[in-house]
Amino acid sequence: MKWKIYFTVVGLVALLLTAYSTDVFANWTNSSEPEEDTRGELSSQSDENLTPPEEDVPLDEEFTILNDQETLEKFQTEKKKEEGITPTHIKIPSIDVDASIEQVGILDNGQMGVPQEMEKVGWFEPGTKPGDTGNSVLAGHVDSKTGPAVFFKLDQLEEGDDIIVSDEEGTELTYTVKRMESYPYTDSPINEIFGPTDQKNLNLITCTGTFNREAGTHDERLVVYTELVEPEQPEEEEEQELDIQAPTNVEVSGTFITWHAVRVEGVAGYRVYKSTDGENYEKVASISSHERKSFTDEEAADHSYYVTTVYLDGTESDPSKVAPE
Amino acid sequence: MKTAKRILITIMAIMLLTPSLAMAHDHSEPTTKTPASDLRSTLDQLLSEHFALATTAMMKDYDDAEDAEQAYAALDQNAMDMTPAVASVYGDEAAAQFEEIFVNHNDYSPDFVEAAKSGDEAMREEAEAEVDEFVEEFGEFLSTATEGNLPADAAKEVLAAHEEDVISTFDHYVNEEYEEAYGAYREGFHRMFDISKALSTAITTQMPDQFENTKADTPAADLRSTLNSLASEHFALAALEMQKGYDQASDYDFVTWAENMHTEDFKAAIASIYGDEGAAQFEKVWQQDHINAQSDIITAALEEDEEARMQAEESLQMFAEEFGAFLGTSTEGNLPAEAATEAVWQHEEQVLATFDNYVAGDYEAAYESYREGYGFMFGIGETLGEAIVTQMPDQFAGEEMPEEMPKTGFGGATDAASTTWMWVAFAVTALAGAGFMIRKNANQ
Repeated sequence: MKWKIYFTVVGLVALLLTAYSTDVFANWTNSSEPEEDTRGELSSQSDENLTPPEEDVPLDEEFTILNDQETLEKFQTEKKKEEGITPTHIKIPSIDVDASIEQVGILDNGQMGVPQEMEKVGWFEPGTKPGDTGNSVLAGHVDSKTGPAVFFKLDQLEEGDDIIVSDEEGTELTYTVKRMESYPYTDSPINEIFGPTDQKNLNLITCTGTFNREAGTHDERLVVYTELVEPEQPEEEEEQELDIQAPTNVEVSGTFITWHAVRVEGVAGYRVYKSTDGENYEKVASISSHERKSFTDEEAADHSYYVTTVYLDGTESDPSKVAPE
Repeated sequence: MKTAKRILITIMAIMLLTPSLAMAHDHSEPTTKTPASDLRSTLDQLLSEHFALATTAMMKDYDDAEDAEQAYAALDQNAMDMTPAVASVYGDEAAAQFEEIFVNHNDYSPDFVEAAKSGDEAMREEAEAEVDEFVEEFGEFLSTATEGNLPADAAKEVLAAHEEDVISTFDHYVNEEYEEAYGAYREGFHRMFDISKALSTAITTQMPDQFENTKADTPAADLRSTLNSLASEHFALAALEMQKGYDQASDYDFVTWAENMHTEDFKAAIASIYGDEGAAQFEKVWQQDHINAQSDIITAALEEDEEARMQAEESLQMFAEEFGAFLGTSTEGNLPAEAATEAVWQHEEQVLATFDNYVAGDYEAAYESYREGYGFMFGIGETLGEAIVTQMPDQFAGEEMPEEMPKTGFGGATDAASTTWMWVAFAVTALAGAGFMIRKNANQ
């Protein structure tokens, strides 16, 4: 009987701790679909620091979107589908790694959590999902007290080696090794490893250097920086789906900067950029898609401009041709 | 109402006729207000409105727009307005003949649309054949009426070009080649003013006395007609742009493109009169609180934002002030700023009424305001033109020519002709008077 109570209490405490570490509480307050939370679907929304850059400015504040709630939802759902995966498995053929992935968070002392088991790899769940823009981070042990662990041979990786992560449904993403760096345990460039970036990166961390018995840890950390190999096919499909186009016919006409609409589904509006020196451009206006495609500037004659198309999912096209030419 | 108008016209005609017969002509200062220039302006209005309404109706019809029917009705109304004008110059019989040829030619427009919608090539060929027939028939009519002052070949050539403009605007529109469509629209629109010039010159040459020996192609008359075309094209494009914008039509950006092209033309015209600095100032005023605000009105309607609407209207009011002041300063007070502001605001109200009626779904009212607002622009052409000509008489002075041919006889043998002559003069001046009244009414 005592044992039963003991186990129940311990179990409940463990559950609470797990829940806390995986940010469930934060997510519950944000979502009515808790079953998704355990898979971290909504984690990027709960962590302001690591949201993709395009979500920094709410689109519906920047642009007025007319009767397009359905379209908007459709594009945002599509976006969700295109979002990264929740990794459950990792393979690194060149060093014979074939391991499952568990989710880790941030420990009370501020450290990134590590997997419980030596043969498992931990994915930093509050961070970026593999496949998304940003730095996704995986950490694995180099050794245990008794011998080598999952990332024992991580330092043998070479530039160009493949890292393959997959989710429960078997969706695979391949990353390729770009470079490897060792940093002192106490002085690693956290921002470079975890912080925002325009690229789709996956960074692998393990211990390296000599084991410091006093500190109870190795004195250095090995970081393997890898970048997503964009699968050719899906990318084309994505482009077809959104048909990303920069505006055409950008012209300065008197005090007007004018252009022609991009006539595809899913355009929220346009951003106008202005430059005095022809090199540094600054955003000066956001024009919703239903408005006249023009921006008024008294000093139009003395400046140059380009315009970009902004889609409902936040994607921004390449700049148009600069006007006046 | 119509009877009242007719009576007024008659009175006006008599009033106009009396001084023209009684007084000697003073040609020392150039003026836009001559009977010949009035005739040209009346034709400017009727012919260009015909083009604008024909192309608009065809586009609306092709799109199955709710206002297609009312657009065609307005087109027919425009044709009906031409008949009294023709009658006053050439008599009822000729007017009836004119009406038969001209009004019926409007019926080909729906045939082109129907053929395009159903892809019926036989129907299209038939419609084209009918157009050819119209060009032939109407060209002959004009040549006969003007007693060859407008030669049949020249008339047919220009009529064929006009029909080509309408069809090419429509075809490009159907093919979604909007830039070409609005390029053709603009070219076709301005061709109507060329036709008007040729026709009014032919008529005034044919009957010089009825037009007090004034000419329809003096520099002053040219200026008035240029201003007519710029002002009326602005109205036509503004009305169209606002409807297309509200509908979020796929050619919306190209109507705005056409507006920008129009602004450039207007700017060039101002530059030729007031220099580059004045032109730059014009452009700034014209675009910022005007073209821009006009588009803000659309956005406000789409977003159902009343505050935005109020702001846009305030901008338009500011434009009326600014543009009135610009015109007042430029013409050195020959067009007083206050009067100019008032006229500009009246125009803006007509643009707004046309748009608001359209948004409300009252298409009959929309085309009524359209025609009223369209006609109003020719009053602006007249008033502004006169102010400019008065300001710089040297630039608009015509060639120095004697007023009348030398009096080389005393009329003993040709006395009988003079009464007929009087009646023709009466009719012609009545036409000029009618044109004047239409503008007067619009001005009120």
